[in-house]
Amino acid sequence: MIDRAIFESLQAKIDEEAAVRDELHEIVQTLGRKGRSTQATLSRAHSTPAEHLKSVLEDATKEILAQKEEVSRLKSVADKHPFYKYNGLWSRELQNLVSSIELCAWLGGLQEYKSSSSASFLTMEEVGKFLDIPVNLKEEDAFHLTLEEYLLALISMVEELARLAVNSVTLGDFERPTQISNFIKELFSGFQLLNLKNDILRKRSDGIKYSVKKVEDVVYDLSLRNLIPKGKSA
Amino acid sequence: MEQNTTKSTPGTKRSWDGVPIHSESSKLHPPTSTMAEASESSPNILSMFGTFRDELDQHHDRRERLIKTSRDITALSKKIIFSLQRVRTANTPLPVSIQKETQSRFSQINELFRSTIPDITGLNSRRYLRQLSGGIQEFIEALSFHHYLTHQTLITRDEVAAHLPVEIIVTEEDYAMGLFDLTGELMRFAVTSLSAGAADTQAHEKGSDGGDTEERLNLPRLPPAQAGVVRDLREIRAEFESITVPRRHNNNMFRDYGKKSEVMQNSVEKVERAAYGILVRGSERPAGWKPDLSAGVEMDVY
Repeated sequence: MIDRAIFESLQAKIDEEAAVRDELHEIVQTLGRKGRSTQATLSRAHSTPAEHLKSVLEDATKEILAQKEEVSRLKSVADKHPFYKYNGLWSRELQNLVSSIELCAWLGGLQEYKSSSSASFLTMEEVGKFLDIPVNLKEEDAFHLTLEEYLLALISMVEELARLAVNSVTLGDFERPTQISNFIKELFSGFQLLNLKNDILRKRSDGIKYSVKKVEDVVYDLSLRNLIPKGKSA
Repeated sequence: MEQNTTKSTPGTKRSWDGVPIHSESSKLHPPTSTMAEASESSPNILSMFGTFRDELDQHHDRRERLIKTSRDITALSKKIIFSLQRVRTANTPLPVSIQKETQSRFSQINELFRSTIPDITGLNSRRYLRQLSGGIQEFIEALSFHHYLTHQTLITRDEVAAHLPVEIIVTEEDYAMGLFDLTGELMRFAVTSLSAGAADTQAHEKGSDGGDTEERLNLPRLPPAQAGVVRDLREIRAEFESITVPRRHNNNMFRDYGKKSEVMQNSVEKVERAAYGILVRGSERPAGWKPDLSAGVEMDVY
């Protein structure tokens, strides 16, 4: 004898979960749309000389702040449900946002959120403070930025900086590739400390060495022709 | 670019930034000074990543422990299912030997589930669901099969959860997938018990329904126990087919629903054909004959 109630409650659960997913999906979509416009603004950095960067960073900061509002909205809904049940829905967009934040910070924006004015990037804690969300929670089941998401965001930033190294030269900035090279080599040595298993983090971090090489090639080309300004970097 | 300072005498050693290198000491200097400068200006990356490494290591350790436990649970569940397939009738107490064997395996499984608890507390309760769900689904398959054989009803999700430590989450998805797998086991069970039970068909025919006409009495009919399994499978199929998983969420929830649904439909059809074959040609088959379960539905299984 088959109890129909079993299947009725199964259907009810499916509908319930689908409704939650729809609600979250709508927020994540908005976050993603705003994220793409942030990224479009930030990519103007590739064609803007460092001395005119200020307006780009101001625009980018505005858009990042708009995204931050979506994150708060997301947090308020997501906090009603178990974190890891729906985490996959927003993980990607949150990573993109953090990566935009890091890039903006590296270029000199978001000064007030850095540990010191000379710091080149935001730590995970600083990102959390800026977005007003917890990070790397261990026990409490609540919305937060996970360690993996933060690391993946750093990797995206490295890839973007490798592109910037090339474009800086085209813009006549021969100093920046060396700065980028130093920074991403340092991050690379950090990533090399990690024992990565066969997962997404492993796959993405394997790509860092190509970014490092790309930038090293630029620095090599410049130094070979003695195009690197002496003063600061020597 | 009008920079021609590079054209100095060949053979001059230069560092990466083009500064000529004269002695050992100066060769070492530029890189070390830039490294020091870089780590001063940013949070200490290496110590930061040191803690990240420890955390990721713990995560991977938990993950691997759970994958291993899940595999062990799967293996034990499969053994239970094998023993249960030796049973021939539903809704009766299990033979003592089989009962003993499955009971000890079920308690081993419980032990294994208990061992996972430290890794799946708090925030982590749903973090490693994917690693554990293979074992949980196989366990549900074994438990629901056991339940069906003893009660001839479907076990509910709450009843499944009652067999597990409270820390283990039985998701609707794992439950549904377990039930899909159950239909495969019921198919095997139905077909073997049909062929074993068909021997009684004739005896049963004669004794039943005294008031019927002469003609109907002579028509073969499935014994009620076997007919029950066929009917139940058909009902399960109909119920599963009435369930809608929104297509836009296909990739995120009940991911295997479509595939499993197809396998289930196939199983039910196999049983329907086997029942037909036994009914119509039952008396013609040689003693001890078993239908072929390995072939697809398209092939005649009787």
